[in-house]
Amino acid sequence: MARMAREEWYDIARDLDWELSYVDYEAVFPEWMSGPGKVPREAWAKWDEPYKVTYPEYVATQREKETGAYSVKAVLQKSRVFDQLDEGWKSVAKEHFGAVALIEDLAVYAELRMARFGLSPAWRNMAIFGALDETRHAQISLYFPHALIGKDAQYDWAHKAYQTNQWGIIAARATFDGMMMNPNVVDVAIQLPFTFETGFTNVQFVALAADALESGDINFANMISSIQTDEARHSQQGGPTLEILIEHDPRRAQWIIDKTFWTSARLFSILTGPAMDYYTPLAMRKQSYQEFMQEWIGGQFLDQLRDYGLKKPWYWDEFVAGLDTWHHSLHLGVWYWRPTVWWNPQGGVSPEERDWLHDKYPQWEERFGPIWDVIIDNINDNRMGLTLPQTLPWLCNLCHLPIGTAGSPHNEKFPVRSYPVTYNGHTYHFCSRPCRQIWWEDRDTLYDKTVIERLLGGEIQPPTVEGILTWMGLTPDIMGDDAYGYRWARPYARTRAPQDRPGRPHGATGQVAPPPGDARPVPVNALFENDFVTQLVIVLDTDTVQEAARKVAEQVVGRRVAPRDAGLVVRHAGTVVPGGMTVAESGISALDIVTVGWAEDA
Amino acid sequence: MSKSVGPVLRMSDDVEGIVAAIVDDNPGQEVTVVDRGAYTRVSGDGELRVTRESIERHLGRAFAMRQLEGLMSAFAGRIEMTSDEVRWRLRSENPAPPGRAGEPA
Repeated sequence: MARMAREEWYDIARDLDWELSYVDYEAVFPEWMSGPGKVPREAWAKWDEPYKVTYPEYVATQREKETGAYSVKAVLQKSRVFDQLDEGWKSVAKEHFGAVALIEDLAVYAELRMARFGLSPAWRNMAIFGALDETRHAQISLYFPHALIGKDAQYDWAHKAYQTNQWGIIAARATFDGMMMNPNVVDVAIQLPFTFETGFTNVQFVALAADALESGDINFANMISSIQTDEARHSQQGGPTLEILIEHDPRRAQWIIDKTFWTSARLFSILTGPAMDYYTPLAMRKQSYQEFMQEWIGGQFLDQLRDYGLKKPWYWDEFVAGLDTWHHSLHLGVWYWRPTVWWNPQGGVSPEERDWLHDKYPQWEERFGPIWDVIIDNINDNRMGLTLPQTLPWLCNLCHLPIGTAGSPHNEKFPVRSYPVTYNGHTYHFCSRPCRQIWWEDRDTLYDKTVIERLLGGEIQPPTVEGILTWMGLTPDIMGDDAYGYRWARPYARTRAPQDRPGRPHGATGQVAPPPGDARPVPVNALFENDFVTQLVIVLDTDTVQEAARKVAEQVVGRRVAPRDAGLVVRHAGTVVPGGMTVAESGISALDIVTVGWAEDA
Repeated sequence: MSKSVGPVLRMSDDVEGIVAAIVDDNPGQEVTVVDRGAYTRVSGDGELRVTRESIERHLGRAFAMRQLEGLMSAFAGRIEMTSDEVRWRLRSENPAPPGRAGEPA
């Protein structure tokens, strides 16, 4: 029997709707959930999805996709392919599963919110498909790693990660709650399908598949690129919503894209950047992270944005500059704080890898090379304690990533520094001006405390590195370590002989003496010059400023900054503070920014 | 401004046939194909189309347009999809008429 072509009946079926008579329209589609704002009710009748699919078509296509993905898995599971995968590459998959699997589940709720509160029947219909899609993504992203738990316990974090207080997960929750759960559905449609799914997910799910296939992880490449075929369809809820919003409230449209783009870019610089430029084995890298971002974001997404008549976000130049630094800084941070992650970061700084980094990022050596050299010497001289943290980086109150990682050392335009703001008597710290500005605009709806704030608020007990790891849910069998067992550092032992290196740190190291009875701890956001992050350092109000400076130096000098035979200078509130006065006399107080440097540079 | 549009195809046996169909359906257009292993980016300037008929001719079997979805991980430009044809385009210099774009007449 000949069927009617879809075009002949689709619009009528899809636009099935009814006039409400028992309740008010506003009660069914309240502003705080549906979010029409300045858009008049009748405008939503124009909502038209460009990527059309009927329910029978949907079921048939999804069945084919599932058959494809699971049959590849079934075949490969019987092979030795997994055992032959590079340990660095495995970390890409582990990080992905933990960071992504239950966010796919969160996206089910985001789609269901649009399916309920979306302002046109066409939109609600498409969101139903979206919810079914995201259900599939959550299931497949849990099922695939589940088969690997017996081989490697870190895969268990595919399910566990999102339910812990691990710092990266707190960052992800803050970003995705802000994108999926917190906003009204007009904002959700612009944030999630439009900005995130037609922009950023392509980099993790399509571009990264190129590296996955090259690395021999056929299963992973097949799974993520299959997932993204769903996204390509349901992300098309963004366009029609955006078109209507632009017509009635272009400023709101631009603002929602701008803030989502920024927070997504920050998050991807820790999720995708290190995976592409450090964990993927050198010979298998298709392009650098920067090149993939230029292809998918600087090219494809920006073209689309302009096509809707929108402008580049106000911080565009800062974003582009960040493609040179953010993910390098974050990789360094993840590696240095490796016990706090559920995968084994690959250092990725062997002489050959370093040549590649220098080739792709001409300023890498100047900005990050000196820090890695200190780390490499410590590895080769078996001072492993100095390659592991004794405190935490200070975290941004918006993106929750370490402060400093939106810039880099030896970078005049975007230096390592905190961008603070004091509001209602509390000082908040940010990694960048855009993070601070977005927080300021949205401050009434944001309440995620950073790990630093939780620690200082007494929520983490005992307040030690061990206590923090336990609080984050990390057990010894899961805590990350170098993926290659540090072998990438060995070749330097021949070229960097001990006599050629700067001396070891002088002065006291190790535990701080217990405070005398009347001394009060003063937690400060401390930067040591030429380091790549700012850190939490707890000084005492009875310390002299010189003693406080040494406490800051202990967390950096000999660890990431080479020691020098020079005194220390402290700057606070724009001026040099005399070393002989006490912290209390100097005016340095809790949550203040303190910068320490070498006296000869003062 | 760049107006690069077109599908990004995931790895499958059908990629070659789909690319050949796109080339056939866009005479006079320069179609660029970038193969990155797990994905192949097919691009044209401003607008590209592909028809079911050409795909069937190149694959040598019946093809429902919905099946393109399983092969396409992403695309550049805006999409319009009917049972017989898919178009990718950027509209800036050729704005769509008011109302629903791509609505069958």
